Amino acid sequence: MVLFRLMSALLGYVEILVTGKAPERFVNMAASRGIYLWDITRVREGAVLLKVRLGAVKALRHIARRTNCRFHFERRVGFPFLYKRLLRRKALALGVLFFLGALYFLSSFVWFIEVKGAERLAVHEVLGAAAEAGLNRGMPKWRVEPGRVEAALEEKLPLVAWAGVYIKGAKVTIEVAERVVPDAEDNRPSHIIATKAGLVKDVLVLSGYPAVKEGDTVSPGQVLISGEIPPLEEPPKPGEEQKQGEEADKSKKPSRFVHARGIVRARVWYDGYGEAKIVETGRRLTGRSETRVSIKFKGKEIILSGDQNIPYELYETETFVKTIPQWRNLEVPVELVTIKYFEAAEYREELGIEGARSLAGERALAEVAGLVPEEAGVVNRSLEEVQTGYPENIVRVKVTVETIEEIGAERLFKP
Amino acid sequence: MGWRDFQRKVKRQFSEAMELPGDVVLDLPKIIMVGNIQLFIENHRGIIEYTTEGVRVSVGEGEVTVIGENLMLRNILPDELCVEGKIRSLSFL
Repeated sequence: MVLFRLMSALLGYVEILVTGKAPERFVNMAASRGIYLWDITRVREGAVLLKVRLGAVKALRHIARRTNCRFHFERRVGFPFLYKRLLRRKALALGVLFFLGALYFLSSFVWFIEVKGAERLAVHEVLGAAAEAGLNRGMPKWRVEPGRVEAALEEKLPLVAWAGVYIKGAKVTIEVAERVVPDAEDNRPSHIIATKAGLVKDVLVLSGYPAVKEGDTVSPGQVLISGEIPPLEEPPKPGEEQKQGEEADKSKKPSRFVHARGIVRARVWYDGYGEAKIVETGRRLTGRSETRVSIKFKGKEIILSGDQNIPYELYETETFVKTIPQWRNLEVPVELVTIKYFEAAEYREELGIEGARSLAGERALAEVAGLVPEEAGVVNRSLEEVQTGYPENIVRVKVTVETIEEIGAERLFKP
Repeated sequence: MGWRDFQRKVKRQFSEAMELPGDVVLDLPKIIMVGNIQLFIENHRGIIEYTTEGVRVSVGEGEVTVIGENLMLRNILPDELCVEGKIRSLSFL
């Protein structure tokens, strides 16, 4: 039905008033000839208003003559009539034409330039290079030569490995792929120093002068690989031994300064401490809870839900109070109080000496675990119980973790 | 019993035996009502009289009278029509 209405509006339909002695005959004849009529209403005696499609009006004239009826048009609806009316309005038609023309004309210019893929390059650099190659905002589209702009971008910007220029509508998209350039090497003189105390296990020098050797004990801040390379001392030749003494000062060349690089691995020890009670006593929640909701009104409390007396011997409470927000200086003295009672129970747990010892050990190890870096390789763990000499309800455990890890860190210096 | 009545009887028995719908074989109107606001008549033979208070529709034999208020012929096709409005009664003549 909706589709039919739509088609009618598109093809056009008319509302006609049929007058005559027997409009029913007119309707009957039209219907029997396959003319679709709808919304037939009687206006008065011998006059009927009905709707019919524009295409069927010609046939109706014949029917009207045969049935001695007359009809005239009341209303014309639909696209064909709209079109006719439009044709009469020259200025409007001209405006439509002008609009379409302007739309077409304006859409043949470049209005937007978008740069995609420029991460290290600045967008204005890319746009500047494109402008030099003849791609500006506001220029006509047919003057843009994507191939030339692409070539120019690749040529002018060394960082661009590839460039693509696409025109879509009034927008030009410049897509660039940047070349991956390795970062400039840092050549400022620097040492490698220890970050932790430890026992040096191995030293690998890539550049610089080793200041420690395997087996040395180092403390934090100590230089491990020096960025200052002393001049090579030439071993004295057998025949020039007496000359060496006087030439020693002359041959003392200044030392070179480099950016020290290398890996220094050392044994590092971490200490931890943990304790546990042999017999633990305390209070903990059982998980059972009870909620009581009440309304407080001027000091009086009315329980809405929940028990009047608390069913637990030991409990903890949590209270939520809801009040009506104050408005101006009106305060409603009513509060909704929700109290949650959590049942608690005393407990006593006997771990035994062994159990307490392992628990203390776990705690001590957990303490150490926070200190040991992730990449460090743990070599050894040793747990030791601390004896105090007199009996007590506590076990203390000391733990030592030994790791092998890199302890070097860069530090710049001024030669 | 005339010849026509005999014919009708045979047709009726035939349609009952073959379980064919009566409106097809017997040329009877099929009337569908939606509450008291809409009425469809299929297989009609044309309108005899139409006013806002009553519509008389010719069907195979006799006629159907619809009485109500503000009646309007929603649409009309060679064999189907739809009456809309406040329908009071429907009778066969």
